[in-house]
Amino acid sequence: MNSVGEGCTELKREYDQCFNRWFAEKFLKGDRSADPCSELFHKYHTCVQKAIKEKDIPIEGVEFMGPNREKADS
Amino acid sequence: MMFHPWETVTKAAMQKYPNPMNPSVFGVDVLDRNVDQRGRLHSKRLLSTEWGLPSIVRSIIGNARTCTYIQEHSVVDPKEKTFELQSTNITFTNMVSVDERLVYRPHPEDPEKTMLTQEAIISVKGVSLSSYLEGLMASSISSNAGKGREAMEWVIRRLNTEIEELAITARGTLRTPMAAAAVTEK
Repeated sequence: MNSVGEGCTELKREYDQCFNRWFAEKFLKGDRSADPCSELFHKYHTCVQKAIKEKDIPIEGVEFMGPNREKADS
Repeated sequence: MMFHPWETVTKAAMQKYPNPMNPSVFGVDVLDRNVDQRGRLHSKRLLSTEWGLPSIVRSIIGNARTCTYIQEHSVVDPKEKTFELQSTNITFTNMVSVDERLVYRPHPEDPEKTMLTQEAIISVKGVSLSSYLEGLMASSISSNAGKGREAMEWVIRRLNTEIEELAITARGTLRTPMAAAAVTEK
């Protein structure tokens, strides 16, 4: 699956692979350890945010429920 | 209802695209993701879709005008075993609004099965054609619900094939005769 940002697809795939593995093998089995994908996500996220701005996609900046405030700076 | 346990369905739903039943989805991006205090995983995603316009029309009016973007918020609760997704279009909102909600949970009597409840609220702006178009979209959405199940089955089969292929590769790298016998037995 591609990313909306053409240059971000490779970063997205790396992140997805990491996430899907953690999701299936840890999270769904009740393991509460944090996912090891934050760095991959940060790189991917930076790329996607740029593409979204460039394409003028009207993302709503909705605040998440849940007080996880330790978000990476974009 | 799907004849797979909830964990299988949830893994597949998280990787639903691409699949042949939803050819118009050409991009999926994770905008944000975190785990809340109750241990539930929240994901905010952007789905990029394209209407099925013939390529000649696209070349005249340009690709950007035919892309529709959908924002999806999902919550996975591994304790309660629920996977809930809500999505809404964020483009063409001046014309139409399609809000969808899907909830996957285990069948109350059989943990090998999963129930899906799906609802959609469609509003079409403008007066004269609205009820006709709403009817059209509603029947399209209910036939899409069947497609949705087909799509999930497709993804589950693909994931199972990948697992089998991994297992075969792993067995293939063992060089003892016992391992070779085990492979031929299967």
